Amino acid sequence: MVELHRVCKVYAVGAVKVPALSDVSFRVAKGEIVLVTGASGAGKTTLLRLLYRDELPTEGEVEVLGRAVTTLHGSQVAALRRSIGIVFQDAKLLPGRTVYENIAFVLRVLGAPRRDITQRVFEALRTVGLSSRARAYPAQLSQGEAQRVALARAIVRKPALLLADEPTGNLDDAMAAEIVDVIKDIWAGGTTVVLATHQARLVEGLRRRTLTLEGGRLVKDEG
Amino acid sequence: MFGFLLGEALRDLRRAGRVAVSAVALITLSLAALGSFWLVSENLGRAVAEWRDRVRIIVYLKREPASGDVASLVERVRAMPGVASVRFVGKGEALETLRAVLGKDAKVAAELPSNPLPASLEVTPAAAAATTEGARRLLERLGALPEAEEVAGSVDWVERLAQWQRLLATIGLGIGAVLAVAAMLTVTTATTLVLHARRHETEIMRLVGAPEFVVRSPLLLQGLMQGLCGAVLALVALVAGYHVLAPRLEPLINLTLGLPRLAFLPTPDVAALLIAGTLLGGLGGWLARGRREP
Repeated sequence: MVELHRVCKVYAVGAVKVPALSDVSFRVAKGEIVLVTGASGAGKTTLLRLLYRDELPTEGEVEVLGRAVTTLHGSQVAALRRSIGIVFQDAKLLPGRTVYENIAFVLRVLGAPRRDITQRVFEALRTVGLSSRARAYPAQLSQGEAQRVALARAIVRKPALLLADEPTGNLDDAMAAEIVDVIKDIWAGGTTVVLATHQARLVEGLRRRTLTLEGGRLVKDEG
Repeated sequence: MFGFLLGEALRDLRRAGRVAVSAVALITLSLAALGSFWLVSENLGRAVAEWRDRVRIIVYLKREPASGDVASLVERVRAMPGVASVRFVGKGEALETLRAVLGKDAKVAAELPSNPLPASLEVTPAAAAATTEGARRLLERLGALPEAEEVAGSVDWVERLAQWQRLLATIGLGIGAVLAVAAMLTVTTATTLVLHARRHETEIMRLVGAPEFVVRSPLLLQGLMQGLCGAVLALVALVAGYHVLAPRLEPLINLTLGLPRLAFLPTPDVAALLIAGTLLGGLGGWLARGRREP
């Protein structure tokens, strides 16, 4: 499903080279849930960006859903992303659109038939427990609700892989627990999940395979 | 899908607000200026064509040919390059014409001891010869006829009119082009603002793997809509201007140029104006999109 082989990523800031990942290798099997943890700046976000081809590795190979992402171009990148759901710390909801419109938006840009959209949007909203908030605008939502809408938007296309980058980073413990429960439900439905977080409590609560990054190096792969 | 993209483009136009309105106004102004010069040039062109049809060269003959020789003389002249038609005017017909022109003073002609008017050939040049250079060559050929005493006629003033027409068309094109560039840059600015306001949508579109044409189409469409809107407004202004000014100007135009009616732009020109405006807006949208490509 996901495989990294001796991946290095170095950012060039002017003449200065800043290593973000060094010699990282691991595999994630289909249907697995994997946590990526580490302090801020450890390389978690860079790792996820490599997986949805927002960045290219400086060295090494990245394979996602059977595709070597370094060789993808234009429409192939778009095709890869159509199989991946992505959630960020910031929910990235479109402020001028209702919850329903935010989720329907991704189906419409992908050309889903109009008659299927309503059904699929409400199905996704039921999964995250927000069917009653379909008409609300993002400004009317709590942070936890906004993050659940972001999750609904990510899964409405039924992706094979869900990438979540600090989805509970802005939330209190109760809200974070709600989000984790939703992610576990999505994973139980057969979606492979890679979840990046710096919150130790969340890692302990989930008790799943955990990759620990320190200064861009994979120092632990356990669970 | 097209309905969705159109909806997104309309949403973008609302976001662009006053800048989009400025862009539409500038497109209207540039196309109205271009269309006005085009309209004047079209009508001057009609006047030139009409006057070219009326150009006559008169070949005064040394003596009136015998009636048996007239046909062969006319045939010889008609065969010359640049001649459309030839009519022989005998001394008698010339005197009759003079009497008709003199009207109540025609008796003056009756007091003449003999008919002093020469016989002549009235030559109508072909369209190709109704230019300064064409007419000069034809005058030379007609002057070389052994029967010719004198050749009168010129197309110089018609040519001057044609030059004015070309000058007006060029000025119109120049002003239109300058305004068009300004309009295009304004559309580009409006689209750049839209691009900024739309950055969240664009980001989401790219993250979910939307095809590139779906990401780009709303920007192009809103540019095209601004262009079409400007072109339609320019056309409305031109039609209104034509209906207000034409009846007032027609008597003067008829008197000076001999055109009884001023014509509006023909349908293909109207279509060209609409297409030009739409493409102008589309180009503005496309340029902004190109600059901000991530």
